Amino acid sequence: MSRIGLAFKLFFQILFNAEVAERAETLSLPAPAEQAAKPETPPPPPKPKPEKPQRPDGIDALVLLATLQREARFLDLFQEDLSEYDDAQIGAAVRDVQRDTKSTLNRLFAISPVRDEEEGGRIELPESYDAGEIRLVGNVQNDKPSGGTLVHRGWRATKCDVPKFSGTLAQAQVLNPAEVEV
Amino acid sequence: MTAKYVIGVDLGTTNSVIAYSDLEAESPAVELLEIPQLVAASTIENRKSLPSFLYLATEADQEGGKLELPWDDGQTFATGEWARRQSADTPDRTVGGAKSWLSHHKVDRQGNILPWNAPEEVGKISPVEASKRYLQHLVAAWNEAQPEHAFADQAVVLTVPASFDASARELTHEAAIAAGFPADFTLLEEPQAAVYSWLGHMGDKWRKALKVGDKLLVCDVGGGTTDLTLITVEEEAGELVLKRMAVGNHLLVGGDNMDLALAFHVAELFKEKNVTLDPWQSVSLWHSCRAAKEQLLQDDGPDKYPVSILGRGSKLIAKTVSVDVEREPIKAMLLEGFFPSCSATDKPERGFVSGFQELGLPFESDPAVTRHLAEFLSQHSEKAGSAIHPTHVLFNGGVFKSEPFQKRLMDTINSWQPDQPLQRLEGDHDLDYAVARGAAYYGFAKEKNGIRIRGGTAQAYYVGIQTSGLAIPGAPRPLHLLNVVPIGMEEGTETDVPSAEIGLVVGETTKFRFFSSPIRKDDKPGQMIQRWDEAEISETDSLEASLPRDDKINEPYVPVTFHSKVTELGMLELWCVSSKTSGRWKLEFNVREED
Repeated sequence: MSRIGLAFKLFFQILFNAEVAERAETLSLPAPAEQAAKPETPPPPPKPKPEKPQRPDGIDALVLLATLQREARFLDLFQEDLSEYDDAQIGAAVRDVQRDTKSTLNRLFAISPVRDEEEGGRIELPESYDAGEIRLVGNVQNDKPSGGTLVHRGWRATKCDVPKFSGTLAQAQVLNPAEVEV
Repeated sequence: MTAKYVIGVDLGTTNSVIAYSDLEAESPAVELLEIPQLVAASTIENRKSLPSFLYLATEADQEGGKLELPWDDGQTFATGEWARRQSADTPDRTVGGAKSWLSHHKVDRQGNILPWNAPEEVGKISPVEASKRYLQHLVAAWNEAQPEHAFADQAVVLTVPASFDASARELTHEAAIAAGFPADFTLLEEPQAAVYSWLGHMGDKWRKALKVGDKLLVCDVGGGTTDLTLITVEEEAGELVLKRMAVGNHLLVGGDNMDLALAFHVAELFKEKNVTLDPWQSVSLWHSCRAAKEQLLQDDGPDKYPVSILGRGSKLIAKTVSVDVEREPIKAMLLEGFFPSCSATDKPERGFVSGFQELGLPFESDPAVTRHLAEFLSQHSEKAGSAIHPTHVLFNGGVFKSEPFQKRLMDTINSWQPDQPLQRLEGDHDLDYAVARGAAYYGFAKEKNGIRIRGGTAQAYYVGIQTSGLAIPGAPRPLHLLNVVPIGMEEGTETDVPSAEIGLVVGETTKFRFFSSPIRKDDKPGQMIQRWDEAEISETDSLEASLPRDDKINEPYVPVTFHSKVTELGMLELWCVSSKTSGRWKLEFNVREED
């Protein structure tokens, strides 16, 4: 499996599967977060829950992909080979896909920045800040600093309303059926 | 069982919404109910509104639980977002705009006529049935969310356009009862609901925003319809009260017409590039045009806005084409087409052919909202004896998200009354959800004796009586109109209609032609009108009464007079009363007849 494919798979597994998320966390600590995407051995496939065989693990990730494709043509854009086109042509297509992807993500996850301050400005850090919310970069000492420059505001999902899918895993794997006009 | 919640339901032409408030709370805290709905096969998502569309599923889509809802798995159709999407892919299997059909007198609204022009094999349904299914979905969504407090046990308010006449209200009522609404649910007019929503937002501060003598114009331009209502502020026993003064005609023009007009314009631009659009692309164009409209009409909006049509197949970028839509022509087209500056004496052009009509529904031939507004105000000024100058305006409907429309409408009215500039009502104008929220707020106020808008019936009603006299071959006997309900007849009141007796034939159905007028304020019950202007009084569905053969009635016909009643719940009832037998027969609307 290509690394990017694996990263994608893991991303969604971490997002939707508490068990995988826990494993990923142990992997990612204390190493920097970037390395989480390249573990030496791939995690075992998620165990299907016996009590709910109709909702296999990972189905939410497939439903999310299908939703983004349906509402925003997400896959159509990301599956294309950009080297074939000039920037203006890509821009024309991206504008619509971006608009619809954004509105879909906001509807499902109500995404907001972690910090409301302007990027580039200095922010104060309280004595006990949540290390999950704020990651220190640069010259990081053991002593907690009193503040620093905000380089990225961060993102946070304030809810998680992925559509519920009642079909089988095989059905969910069809992210967009082939369409035939009659 | 006593109600725990008050529920407001906005059954819209394009979207339906449920709002609710806990009746046990001190003050109303109105929330919107999330409505689970199919967004694709087997896929359920919660949305704040239920698109008023219905997809009559193919056999393939009926299999394998694709239409399964949390509360039902035996349906053969889908309502909501999936259905809205299907209207692009399979238009012959998708019902939309059912509400507009409810008030269309020329078709059988109990007949299976929708989707209009679709082949019979899809299993067409009636406008009433479609409305029932949307409402059923909302009821089920409520019961799913609140299993302890069944919908049928709550205090429910359903909104209808102010301009819906008695028979359209009757049909809406029928659909709601069939969908599981409680028998004592209340009908409320949409523009009034918008005002209640504003009252709810303002709390007691509203008394500072409005004063005695103010006239509030509620301008509600929805997806498919435009409704104009005038409300006055009066004083009674030292308290400010709101009174509904006038209601406009039912206008079938709305935001969808605007987006469609823009889409037509842009499709022409594509045609110049030799790109012809298939129906699927046309719908996505429509969607893009709505976004373009809001951008281009902003005061400091861009001069050009690119509109793209994404390639239909999976090769998205390769097949994407785009055109630059220029701001000025669009602004001119939409503002001049829908909100042209006009004089106070202008009237809508009748018989004006516009490019964006759909067969079937009687869309307004003149889409100019401002001209309809001029006519509305001048008609009511004439009746009131002096010019009506609104002092405040409340906007409702997604169209007004484009500020220039608000501005143009206000500028136009101000040009009619330069000495008394109109104010935009202060505070929040919730353009999308005000109607449902306001309905819930009204229900709360009704239970707790809060502020109410008074006004009674929006229209006067007349029964057509054929005069007796010498029959002239070839000429129909002249028809006179007998007023049976005056404008402003209050809920919970009834009245005898004094008139000469009319003979009802026993054992047969007697039909009466039935007319309505939102304008003739001075007509009293029993008044007979011999001449009238067709712009003032329009014919609606006929009424019929059928007297059973009965031992008490030995004669071939029974002389009767009329008795009218407006129930507490806002429903109009007309009865025939016989002084001889003391019998009473209810007149029923005949909505099946085709002209």
